[in-house]
Amino acid sequence: MIFEFLQAALLLGIVAAGFLAVKSEDLLKAVIFLAAMSLLLTSQFYLFQAPDVAIAEAAVGVGLSTAIFVITIKKTERWENGKKN
Amino acid sequence: MSKEMSPIVKNVACVLAIPIIIFGLYIILHGHLTPGGGFPGGAIMASLVALFLIAFGTGWAKKINKGILSWGESIGLALFGLLAFLGLGTSFFNNFLANSNSLFGMSIPFGPNQGFLWTGGTIPLMNIAVGLEVFAALSIIIPIMFSSDESSKEGKK
Amino acid sequence: MEKRIKVSVLLLLCAFLLMAGMFLHEEGNPDETEMDDYFIENGQVETGSNNIVAAIVFDYRGLDTLGEASVLFAAAIGVLIVLGATKNE
Repeated sequence: MIFEFLQAALLLGIVAAGFLAVKSEDLLKAVIFLAAMSLLLTSQFYLFQAPDVAIAEAAVGVGLSTAIFVITIKKTERWENGKKN
Repeated sequence: MSKEMSPIVKNVACVLAIPIIIFGLYIILHGHLTPGGGFPGGAIMASLVALFLIAFGTGWAKKINKGILSWGESIGLALFGLLAFLGLGTSFFNNFLANSNSLFGMSIPFGPNQGFLWTGGTIPLMNIAVGLEVFAALSIIIPIMFSSDESSKEGKK
Repeated sequence: MEKRIKVSVLLLLCAFLLMAGMFLHEEGNPDETEMDDYFIENGQVETGSNNIVAAIVFDYRGLDTLGEASVLFAAAIGVLIVLGATKNE
């Protein structure tokens, strides 16, 4: 029973993090929400007993893609539609 | 544009370098015993390069020797293909070293055990090859993306 | 009008995903188990590796991994050719 509740909470957290990542005007904040979504997805993979996929997701999704997005934001603009700039 | 960050960030990046490298090597070398393998381990070690780039800026990116990394990438992929072709006596990707009492050739019984490192046949060697290839490829891609903009601006001047 | 279409498409998608979630397979209980049983029973002894996933990825289905490594190699070479050349001018 607790497994189902944990899983539902993780899935709701994934949806909430994805929604916030789409909605936020600050792109740096959006990248952090994307990383949080990836982290919750990693725990979901772990709960589904797929630790190999979880480790790959943690390394690529949380580590590398966040770093690449941060580098891209550093190169371009931080705010969506050129706001507050 | 992208200059160095504060000394706190730089020092923390330097302190984190050794644990990240050791964890990545652990993930690669224990790929046949625990979850992980060449691809995640190489990605973990490449995330260290991204961390250093963010902390130290473009000046550090220009110090990276892309020739050596390109060689590492090529050697990793060639080693992987060579190991695949060496098993061609039976079939492509045949594990010819497993249970042979030679390199990584210890045989294990069916069922749970404590995990012996000297097992797996070609699987650990392929893990090392893929880890080298992924680490080198990602460490080429990230600094070039990081420093390409400014170098093209300098070229225009 | 356009908003109504968007909302209806979203609701349809939600209903579809809810249906898919409700009729999800029980975890670790696939329909066809012949190949899985072979890997679980013989994989550890045949390859000598405790991690069956590594045995499948690098041994039984090694060609997939070769393709994956080649894709990454091609990506790095492409980035090196397209963006790395601007430095030497």
